[in-house]
Amino acid sequence: MNRLLTKDFLSGLMFVAFGLGALYVGQHLAVGTPVRMGPGYVPRMLSFIMLALGVLICIVAIVSGSEPVERPKWKPITLVTIGIVCFALLFERAGLIPALIVLVMIASLAGEEFKLTEVIGNIVVLSVLCTLVFKVGLGMNIAVVQGIW
Amino acid sequence: MELLDNLFLGLSVAFTFQNLTYALLGCMVGTLIGVLPGIGPVATIAMLLPITFHLPPTASLIMLAGIYYGAQYGGSTTSILVNLPGEASSVVTCLDGYQMARRGRAGAALSISAVGSFFAGTIGTIIIVIFAEPLTRMAQKFGPADYCSLMALGLVAAVVLASGSITKAIAMVFLGLLFGLVGTDVNTGAQRFTFDIPELSDGIDFAPIAMGLFGIAEIVVNLEKHLERSGAIKVGSLWPTREEIRRATPAILRGTILGSLLGVLPGGGPTLGAFSAYTLEKKLSKNPGEFGKGAVEGVASPEAANNAAAQTSFIPMLTLGIPSNAVMALMVGAMIIQGIQPGPEVMTKKPDLFWGMIVSMWIGNAMLVIINLPMIGMWVKLLTVPYRFLAPAILLFCCIGAYSLQNSTFHVMQVAIFGVLGYIFVKLGCEGAPFLLGLVLGPQMEEYFRRAMLLSRGDPMVFIERPISLGLLIATAVLLALMALPSIKKAREEAFQEEG
Repeated sequence: MNRLLTKDFLSGLMFVAFGLGALYVGQHLAVGTPVRMGPGYVPRMLSFIMLALGVLICIVAIVSGSEPVERPKWKPITLVTIGIVCFALLFERAGLIPALIVLVMIASLAGEEFKLTEVIGNIVVLSVLCTLVFKVGLGMNIAVVQGIW
Repeated sequence: MELLDNLFLGLSVAFTFQNLTYALLGCMVGTLIGVLPGIGPVATIAMLLPITFHLPPTASLIMLAGIYYGAQYGGSTTSILVNLPGEASSVVTCLDGYQMARRGRAGAALSISAVGSFFAGTIGTIIIVIFAEPLTRMAQKFGPADYCSLMALGLVAAVVLASGSITKAIAMVFLGLLFGLVGTDVNTGAQRFTFDIPELSDGIDFAPIAMGLFGIAEIVVNLEKHLERSGAIKVGSLWPTREEIRRATPAILRGTILGSLLGVLPGGGPTLGAFSAYTLEKKLSKNPGEFGKGAVEGVASPEAANNAAAQTSFIPMLTLGIPSNAVMALMVGAMIIQGIQPGPEVMTKKPDLFWGMIVSMWIGNAMLVIINLPMIGMWVKLLTVPYRFLAPAILLFCCIGAYSLQNSTFHVMQVAIFGVLGYIFVKLGCEGAPFLLGLVLGPQMEEYFRRAMLLSRGDPMVFIERPISLGLLIATAVLLALMALPSIKKAREEAFQEEG
């Protein structure tokens, strides 16, 4: 099992997956002939190369081994992703400031240290800065707080 | 003389109030992110790409270029003062720069690196001026098949010189090419890989991709690592001693030459330049034992090299439209956003932009010496800002930047998706830079490939029948074959080990 949980083997699998995925999604695209290539010609070609490289990387990884993958820490990546998604959902519905507060809160939780006073300070500074730069300075068409400004 | 005319045109463009302001702004931002570890020029330029939409083309490119070479200056400051490289290209500066600082020579190390960088930047700019025209003229003779081969060479060379595992990096290039196909096919109007999402029919915007891969993934990795901060060291006198000047001068010269050469190569650029310069100095030195203990040459040469390389890496991008590293790929993107197709036409059709940008680089380098030396105290203060304040701020700017691309939250979601993908890439040891190069070149390369095949009536022999194309393909093959040789493979692995 340890032989398979290596960086190279897993990245090989990833490339194979992308190759197969591209073939599947692009299956309805017309390939055409080399003279008159259809929209599917180059994608198909790239998918097959992708597949071949993926398989090659897998085989080399099994034969000669490679570094094991470090155990990922789930907290930072999950919280950061959730933060961005929340920002995307809130930005147009609630405005810049609410989205900012949620993002900074969640992102701060992803770190090792979390002091509420510091985070609030950070939020205040960033709110003022973003409003000045993006709304006032660049004149972007965004709502600072939806319905109010 | 034509060259002088061009330079005067450049001067007249660069010295307008607006362009000077943006050059200064770019240099300030560049120094800032160079000083701050955990955010690099790629992520910053990606974040600022949407904003350049609101600026005139020349101003936006001047600013982005300023960020790039500003980061080289700023990165050395943190290397010397706190032994934390702000940028990958200043990792080697840590070795001797920090040791000099511990012996109370921090000020001297800083001024040698700033003056060396300025000198190198000046030479780099002159090289661009001299070589831009002949290269452009050569590129204008290229047909579609030649272009396709040139891009292949560029991509392969970038991969070979700049990354750890070659097979994985090549696979990343192909993955990038594949992502570059998303959108409407220009020749037939067919929708490819768009999943019926209207936002994707114009193709995937690469600003959110770059933000995700280089910004978000970097933040997450830094959050995992828990960045340590050590107290900043006193700067002391900025004046180097006569002995230090005597030793630094030839080192700066050597670093400049080496850096300029390596910068032009695809995949070259500042990091490679700095590492090679350090190795060269160590080999040339009469007492190599001094290296790692505060040798002046070990600061002067790599610092000159990384800046010279930062300048000359603009050459392939400006003349051929081929980006040699991730930052140049983003510059290509910035041009496309402004409706300029990078390539040999830029110089003939937009001479004001071309020469204005080049002259502004030299002005920017002069500004950086001022920004970095007398204002060093301010940057040192910034170093004490803990990462837990920075990470949310960087995330926030990424999100707002992505939104402002087309005023749609779809792009913010894209940042999240590519952040996760970027994190997977990091965990699997796959490099993001080859992916980005493939992504940027993908659509053009397909276009040239299809045109070449159409002109040759479907005969792939066209790629080896045209002499230029054949030469380029042979160069590509030789490069790949060389890498398979055991001795080179070993030397290369050692070089990358030193880097890591």
